[in-house]
Amino acid sequence: MTPRIRSTALLLGWALAAAIYSGSGLRLQAATLKLQAQLVWGTNDERSPDPKHKPVEAVVKEKLKELPLKWSNYFEINRKNVELSPSGTSKVELSEKCQLEVTSLGGSKLEVILLGKGKETLKRTQALPKGEMLVLGGNAPNATAWLVVLKRIE
Amino acid sequence: MDWEAQLKLQAYLDGELPEAERRRLEATLAQGGQSSLLLAELRQTREALAGFEKEIQMPESREFFWSKIEREIRRQESPARVPAPVSWAARLRRLLVPASTVALLAIAGFLTIRNDGSSLLPGGTEMETALTDTGAFTYRDYSAGTTLVWLSYPAENEPDDDEDAVTLQ
Repeated sequence: MTPRIRSTALLLGWALAAAIYSGSGLRLQAATLKLQAQLVWGTNDERSPDPKHKPVEAVVKEKLKELPLKWSNYFEINRKNVELSPSGTSKVELSEKCQLEVTSLGGSKLEVILLGKGKETLKRTQALPKGEMLVLGGNAPNATAWLVVLKRIE
Repeated sequence: MDWEAQLKLQAYLDGELPEAERRRLEATLAQGGQSSLLLAELRQTREALAGFEKEIQMPESREFFWSKIEREIRRQESPARVPAPVSWAARLRRLLVPASTVALLAIAGFLTIRNDGSSLLPGGTEMETALTDTGAFTYRDYSAGTTLVWLSYPAENEPDDDEDAVTLQ
């Protein structure tokens, strides 16, 4: 390696290191997780019997369509936003019988506990990067489905 | 025949005896006996050794061979080289080159991590615990970034055993 190339590589390395170092401050500021939890009803009916129910937003519908689910329409029953500090826990009541307990485990890693009628039904730990979705679901009467959609906003 | 007489015979054979002694010994040898027998044996031995002596052929000329030895002797006798003084810039460069390598590796490490702390590399840890007998199964769509966990847990009190409720393609 000639001295000129070595010097150039040296300067480039330090410049990038400085850029990364300055960026790490921003990384720390983005530690709070913003999530959105939705209780969704899946059906093949065109309309929900409850006029308060709105069709889910297009992005969510598109992602649900890509999953191996047979329903063609999805209606939002309830929606709650959640903000989680590092290592923080938040309990979200989506309906009288459906609650969600979300804990931040650092970074984008989450622990999600689904409570059905107040009883812990499922505990799941996974990373949920921005834009990704975790969908918990099950069968509902009349060949319909209930879904809990947890989406990372920030 | 004593030891001294044997040595004299060897010296005679090598042509190293003084004239007077040589004549006396030749007179003794002319009488025969042990001295003449030993002399004959010594002659035979010398001839045999001379016949087997191999002549060494040098791969190079004598002058060249000795010139190599001479050069090696001069090299060993010459004073040890004193290292040239290293400038502070060169010393700094020597220090900074490995530091730069470490910095670049650190950059590569940072770039594989997203702003939210998750890695861009596959293989994140996922763990699931079914707390009740939910018969849960998980489907992961990596391209859409969506995870589906399906439970047989009913939403209402009445169980729904619709087997076709979910279809995996």
